Amino acid sequence: MEKASSLAEDYFSRYQDLIPNYESFLNALSEPLPLYFRLNTLKTQDPDRVVRGLARQGFEVTPVEAVPWFFRVEPRDISLGNTDEYYLGLIYPMTLSSSLPVYALDPRPGEIILDLCAAPGSKTTQIAQLTEDQAIVVANDKRLDRITALVANLRRLGVASVVTTVYRGEQFPLGTTFDKVLVDAPCSGEGRYRKGYEGELLFHKEGHTNLPAIQKGLIVRAYDLLRPGGILVYSTCTINPEENEAVVDYLLRKRQAEVLSWEAPLPSHPGLTEWEGKPFHPELVKAKRFYAHEIGAVGFFVVKLRRQV
Amino acid sequence: MKRRIKKLDPRASWPRPVSDEERAHILGYLEERFGFSPTLFEPYLFLATAKNYWLFTRTEHFEALQSLRVQTAGLLFLRKVSGYLKPTSAALQRFGRFATRNIVILDRLTLDRLRLEKKIPFSAELEPGYVILKCEEDFWGCALYISGKLISYLP
Ligand SMILES: C[S@@+](CC[C@H](N)C(=O)[O-])C[C@H]1O[C@@H](n2cnc3c(N)ncnc32)[C@H](O)[C@@H]1O
Repeated sequence: MEKASSLAEDYFSRYQDLIPNYESFLNALSEPLPLYFRLNTLKTQDPDRVVRGLARQGFEVTPVEAVPWFFRVEPRDISLGNTDEYYLGLIYPMTLSSSLPVYALDPRPGEIILDLCAAPGSKTTQIAQLTEDQAIVVANDKRLDRITALVANLRRLGVASVVTTVYRGEQFPLGTTFDKVLVDAPCSGEGRYRKGYEGELLFHKEGHTNLPAIQKGLIVRAYDLLRPGGILVYSTCTINPEENEAVVDYLLRKRQAEVLSWEAPLPSHPGLTEWEGKPFHPELVKAKRFYAHEIGAVGFFVVKLRRQV
Repeated sequence: MKRRIKKLDPRASWPRPVSDEERAHILGYLEERFGFSPTLFEPYLFLATAKNYWLFTRTEHFEALQSLRVQTAGLLFLRKVSGYLKPTSAALQRFGRFATRNIVILDRLTLDRLRLEKKIPFSAELEPGYVILKCEEDFWGCALYISGKLISYLP
């Protein structure tokens, strides 16, 4: 275990000056991730039913003040997947910060929205619930097996407003234009890291795939799928600026995108305008970084953009 | 937990929106059997594949979506089973609370037994046919009530 923990410290040391309160960040890594779920308001608006039911099965459930319909659960190491509440589609277990990209997207009934990397559907179903099943969401993922899991979640939650597709995001057909596109990109997942999962860090450190190249392809195609004035949200659960600001900076150089500010329900830090000597577009300060130890959930990066009218 | 996804015919990439007559037939059945008010489904279309009806949000963007090769569109809502319409458990879990008829209320023990054994002896003052399973305040899904038995269609 000694050896493993020094690996994590080693790995994150390049972010020492970037992460606020770095010591407490490192400390937080030794605790298992908190467990949360979202109440599926398409089926019930009554949290008491769910809180009581889960209590009967030994879970202690507390509402999250800052984020409507989210609840924190203890013990955090027992899966909610075997509960009646899960089976009945009353809850969707997901980390608290995973709700943030959808807050930035601000979906409205009547819109047509593309969720380009959608599986297993935590954000797709959150959009469906916020719009009361009245915005069309095209939920795409390049992997059919992951779309299978997404379809199971849609059925479990009773969602009728979603179309599923299996395209490589970079090649999503240009024929249909969207009011809004969400790119919740495949990433190195550094924000999810907790001690005991060193394998994941090593895997990405060894660089099996060129993630920034994939992310750049996805963000440009997402932009090109927007109607003029349409909204693009790009998010990852990683700290790595190469997968975040550098990807958005690439888009800003290729296309006339505008960076927008947005209100987040959790504390954040501005996006970087420089990393390892390389400057990024100054508007990137409007992007938001969320750190695991400050929000008690997975670390996230979220930026909101608009296509030129 | 592992279940197959009903894949749409890849050649026919989009299911067909039902005709007005077909819609009236579906709504008539849902109202007659379960007391669902037709206005409940006003915001939705019904789409048809060979043996199924899917519920899909009504949208002005319907045409724009036609060029996509889709895996699924909407919620699998009804299956055509030897001339009858069988609502899916997913449909009943979502909309069961708006039903007024042919709801079977089970205690927890009986529900668990039905889930385990799939078929249990049962008698109630109901016309035979598909019923909505309710336990305490929850809607669990679909079963068939026929000749003194209850047959589970819960996933
Ligand atoms: C971070 S996960 C998405 C999580 C999902 N948005 C949610 O909230 O449940 C990234 C997803 O991107 C998919 N993916 C990876 N490369 C892709 C590509 N080139 N095009 C489309 N999807 C891709 C992966 O299969 C994975 O499901």
